[in-house]
Amino acid sequence: MIAEYGQLALTFAFCVSLALAVVPLYGSFKGNQTALDLGNPLAYALFFLTAFSFWALSYAFWSNDFSVVYVASNSNSLLPWYYRLTAVWGGHEGSMLMWLLVLAGWTAAVALFSRSLPLQFQGRILGVMGLIAVGFYAFVLFMSNPFMLSLPYYPVDGRDLNPLLQDFGMIIHPPMLYMGYVGFAVSFAFAIAALMGGKFDSTWARWARPWTLAAWMFLTLGIMLGSWWAYAELGWGGWWFWDPVENASFMPWLVGTALIHSLAVTEKRGTFKSWTVLLAIGAFSLSLLGAFLVRSGVLVSVHSFAADPDRGLYLLAFLLVVIGGSLLLYAIRMNSVRSQARYELFSREVLLWGNNIFLLTATLVVLLGTLFPLVHKELGLGSISIGEPFFNQLFYYLVIPFSLLLGLGPWVRWKQQQVQPLLKPMSLVAIATLILALGTMAATQSIQANLALLGLLLGAWVGSSAIFELLQRLQQFGSVKQGLTKLNASHFGMTLAHIGFAVLVVGVAMTKTYSVETQVRMKAGDQVELAGYQFKLVEVYDLKGPNYNGEAAELDVSYQGDYVTHLHAEKRFYKVQRSVMTEAAVHARLSRDLYVALGESLSEDSWALSLYVKPFVRWIWLGGLLMSLGGLIALCDKRYRRRVVEQKDATEQKGAADA
Amino acid sequence: MRKLAFFIPFALFLGLSVFLFSGLFSDPMERESSVLNKALPAFALPDLQRPDTIWTEQKLQGKPYLLNVWGTWCVTCNAELAYLTELREQGVMIIGLYYQQPSDAAFGEVFNLAELQQEVALKLQQQGDPYQWNILDKDRTLIFDLGVTGAPETFLIDAKGIIRYHHVGDINPQVWQQKLAAAYQSLEE
Repeated sequence: MIAEYGQLALTFAFCVSLALAVVPLYGSFKGNQTALDLGNPLAYALFFLTAFSFWALSYAFWSNDFSVVYVASNSNSLLPWYYRLTAVWGGHEGSMLMWLLVLAGWTAAVALFSRSLPLQFQGRILGVMGLIAVGFYAFVLFMSNPFMLSLPYYPVDGRDLNPLLQDFGMIIHPPMLYMGYVGFAVSFAFAIAALMGGKFDSTWARWARPWTLAAWMFLTLGIMLGSWWAYAELGWGGWWFWDPVENASFMPWLVGTALIHSLAVTEKRGTFKSWTVLLAIGAFSLSLLGAFLVRSGVLVSVHSFAADPDRGLYLLAFLLVVIGGSLLLYAIRMNSVRSQARYELFSREVLLWGNNIFLLTATLVVLLGTLFPLVHKELGLGSISIGEPFFNQLFYYLVIPFSLLLGLGPWVRWKQQQVQPLLKPMSLVAIATLILALGTMAATQSIQANLALLGLLLGAWVGSSAIFELLQRLQQFGSVKQGLTKLNASHFGMTLAHIGFAVLVVGVAMTKTYSVETQVRMKAGDQVELAGYQFKLVEVYDLKGPNYNGEAAELDVSYQGDYVTHLHAEKRFYKVQRSVMTEAAVHARLSRDLYVALGESLSEDSWALSLYVKPFVRWIWLGGLLMSLGGLIALCDKRYRRRVVEQKDATEQKGAADA
Repeated sequence: MRKLAFFIPFALFLGLSVFLFSGLFSDPMERESSVLNKALPAFALPDLQRPDTIWTEQKLQGKPYLLNVWGTWCVTCNAELAYLTELREQGVMIIGLYYQQPSDAAFGEVFNLAELQQEVALKLQQQGDPYQWNILDKDRTLIFDLGVTGAPETFLIDAKGIIRYHHVGDINPQVWQQKLAAAYQSLEE
């Protein structure tokens, strides 16, 4: 019964989204106070109805209600309860319902936290969110309904969750990712609301900043978790594959990063106005494009959901309306906008402009690499595939100037910067860079001129510049101690995120250069040496889990005779889905990972094993974590709350004057 | 000019959506075989069971036939043996191209012809034998030239030795009826 209530709630939610799309917008254009006041309650209603619907589907999974088709195809009575709950978003329909929940959540959050905005502007934001919601709710309700029943002939047991998704990383990866994707809908709604009003002062940028930061933080976290999951679960020691769907999440991230920086310029200097609006539209458009690519089956990817051309067609039509419509609105409205601010060639504006150029070039590279095979084929030129070498090569060339710029950026003033005062601190940073990079290299490897050294240099440059700049800024308050309490959170957040980027660059370069791996045949008692580590296979034994059988290998690892750790690697055979999964054994340290994947049994008593030693691979995820932590800290900045309130009176008077 | 510049993003997006639209109606996994309508590449490979007999592309000419790439190690190939045998009984000529997987010395594997012959004979005895004979491609040279991505794959070759159809995956009644039957019959006439 519960599933039917879920269906009912979802239907009501769709009706509410229709109202949300019409009523506040009507109110904002007609100046109808009653209609505007209805915006908030509608947003809350949308959220509660969707949350109930999501709860109902979760309950169907919890109680093994296999009369629901979606439950039957993604769960099994043998599945542990925590995976039964995460199976809710393990397939297309349920993940779309989660998308709705996240969308409704963001909408309710906008209603809750934007009460201090001018009502007219808030009404437009909610209206735009409502318009997006109508498209998605209709899609779920009519084309991918998770509550479809198979009564009266329901299956006795389910087909089980894809074993790949039975992992902790997978429990939180999609929700974080969706929080990011859909979060950019809020930035988008702010931009569209500003376009509708046709007034472009810097206020909308200030209001949009915390929302964009929040979305960006979640997306960063989501991408990082996805990378970590692939590393732990796929058993081949990689962390990023340039898979089309990874790219689909990476593109909004790149544009979102550009947007955060561009919003700062628009807010502080009142310039880059049309550019910022375009980036806000772009970040959400790329999120939508990603959803289309994953769910329509136009590209080959490990992530693709079962392809259905009707769904693809609907999503494409939706894309055309949302992206096409907003870009058209942009083209028409932006004609009249002029930026007044003046700035010199060497100024923070220009450096941030450079940041945007590099980030957008990177986006373009990813977009081309992802879609070029499709375009090539549709032009009748045959099938091609674009892989890792293309992306790696181009990112290599992009990261170098980007990092150099990033080390310089925070030091440079708005409007105009004299070269002279920067010479001393920058040479200090340069010296620190050399010491740090060469020191790290000497401590862990031998000093060589290679990719790793380049990565260390760039990382040390960005990192030490960020730290020195923070110290210098703190001292301006009299003493570092005083500065710690006075400097705003945004600045700490920025510094931390930049350090995160530095850590990431070091991690990538070191892992790429110094990872070693070997595939070996081992019997119990055998010992293999890799990069100075002795891996000794102690035993292999049979394994019995709730919904799988398998084998487990126990290894002892020692380094130059000293015991390091014990490793436990598994190979599981999932009975219902008839698929084999590796559970790699990982011993993680900041300086290196030891990674063992158990392969096939080659004879009665010998097994194939893959052994990896991956220096600094943790730094990649640590970097991602620091970046999103930086986003979180910046989000806590007091002025996002205070200034909005201060501004309120001014803008309301202005709004009244306009009306 | 400046006014028009603001329309560029919109125009680019429209251009892109044309490709996305047409992409919806084509299968991304599908790719045109590069050997289609070309002559079978030159080769000289031994018969699996009678290694003294050497088969070349010329010896195979004269009658349309199916060239089926398979191996005993390949589960799907084993599954299609029964239906292929049925086709043989209907008079379709099928020649096997045996896909020998590389032996890895590191894992103590050595290629042993006698063992392989026994294994193949046993398999065909159990599952049905659709093949007139089997060609052994020990070093996968012909398989490479044919652009085979995995077993099973089947080529329809006409009497003059021209490749007329390249099917990736197993052959079952449905595949045969929809994709190969008509082409094979037209070559027969």
